[in-house]
Amino acid sequence: MKVKIDETRCSGHGRCYVLAPEVYQLDDNGYNAEAGSTIEIEPGLEKKAMVGVKNCPEAAIIPVED
Amino acid sequence: MSQQEVAAAKGSAEAALTGAPAGAGQQPEQAQQAAHADHARWGRDMCNDFDIDDPRFNEHFFEMLDHMVRHCPVVRSNVGSGYWMVTRQADVRRVGQDWQTFSSAKGYQPNRPEGLPYLYPEESDPPVHTAWRRALNPHMSPRAVAPYAETIRNDVNTLIDRFIDRGECEFVSDFGAKLPGWAFFKNVLGVPIDDLDMLVDSVERGTFDPPPERPGHFARIFEYLGNYLARRRDEPPRGDMVDTIAAGVEYPDGEMAPWDHRVSVLVDLTFGGIATTTYVMAGAMQHLATNHGDRDYLVDNPDMIPRAIEEFVRVFPPVVALGRTCTRDVEFEGKEFKEGEMVLLGYSAASRDPRVVEDPQTIDITRESVLHSAFGVGPHRCIGSNLARLELTVTLEEWLKRIPDFGMKPGTKPITETGILRSMKDLYLVF
Repeated sequence: MKVKIDETRCSGHGRCYVLAPEVYQLDDNGYNAEAGSTIEIEPGLEKKAMVGVKNCPEAAIIPVED
Repeated sequence: MSQQEVAAAKGSAEAALTGAPAGAGQQPEQAQQAAHADHARWGRDMCNDFDIDDPRFNEHFFEMLDHMVRHCPVVRSNVGSGYWMVTRQADVRRVGQDWQTFSSAKGYQPNRPEGLPYLYPEESDPPVHTAWRRALNPHMSPRAVAPYAETIRNDVNTLIDRFIDRGECEFVSDFGAKLPGWAFFKNVLGVPIDDLDMLVDSVERGTFDPPPERPGHFARIFEYLGNYLARRRDEPPRGDMVDTIAAGVEYPDGEMAPWDHRVSVLVDLTFGGIATTTYVMAGAMQHLATNHGDRDYLVDNPDMIPRAIEEFVRVFPPVVALGRTCTRDVEFEGKEFKEGEMVLLGYSAASRDPRVVEDPQTIDITRESVLHSAFGVGPHRCIGSNLARLELTVTLEEWLKRIPDFGMKPGTKPITETGILRSMKDLYLVF
């Protein structure tokens, strides 16, 4: 499973990190550390990754079709 | 139940509650019926003849938001020059993110008084807005504000010490109106301790005094902050946000931000976070004072406080709606927005959108999924959100340790005030 973090939308709410720190980290500004990248989700962490997808107020975390 | 059955059941339940027809896509007769139901209930068609300052909106705040987010994706106000308001979370997000079409550069207030200087960076667009945020963000990140927890914790206890033996307090003036100011002025701005009382008092009075008296109190703070910034510019740097603001940022045209913009940034940050956090605090305390099950749950499970805080932020929205100005004609959900017209981002409605929040009318402090717009959406996302969460969390942690058993004083009812911001003027607690 892959998700893309849209850097034009991420505005540093930080919900992804609070709810799914196993998947998402923040940079020193409080924005998603992988903003602008596509990240590979470790097997077993798919549900956690989706929590981040669903809870981002900016819809900045977007599942990517393989 | 299937998704459709659940949606249909919810729709019927809503219809029964509101007396208005269910369903998202309304036929003309249904829309007329819904408008008629508005008139009957509140004496005003809040979807097509809205007034954010109407006392009835203040009185029936949550009901009206629930009605609007379900039945009026685009609300129209004819007050003054008129304005629109979008209510659904998806639309608030679309408008908030599309700064090219929906600009902040003409200000966030509907029917803005003439001659008011613009607040920076709030009332500016990228790339000027971006230049400021890039410089300011590091000072307000979770990592940056975490060390303030200790001072905030001490301050919470200092304030509680003042009234704990009385067995009662008026939460807003005794605590809620003070703690956010102390937290911000002490930790982030580093003002002299001697100046703290005056500043906090001026913010409190600027928020809660009779409206004609408020501007004078705010003016005092403007003046203080301008002088303070000038003083700090001439002092050795401390490496804090005030240094960053005093130094200014380079604008895209190559020029450094003018001095008055730098003062404006300091003012913008100050006003952004004080009265707003006070309202969430008061709302949280009101809920816990009147829902002892939830109160006791948090007393016994303090690690669940952060989750509860996010729900309190959602259901007690201090920022009701803020405006954007159309830079071109826009067709939006069947309405025609004209260039120059104001569109409000209905943050408070979007935080109650059943499309993105399960059972949004219920305050559920255990819910994990709390999608709200209380901190805004788009590039102007509240820069103080991490500090606000910290203040709220530490407040509840300490209060529930020291005063686990409290209720609302019998015979009292909090008074709220609503416009583009919402506040609670008093909250009498007994313990």
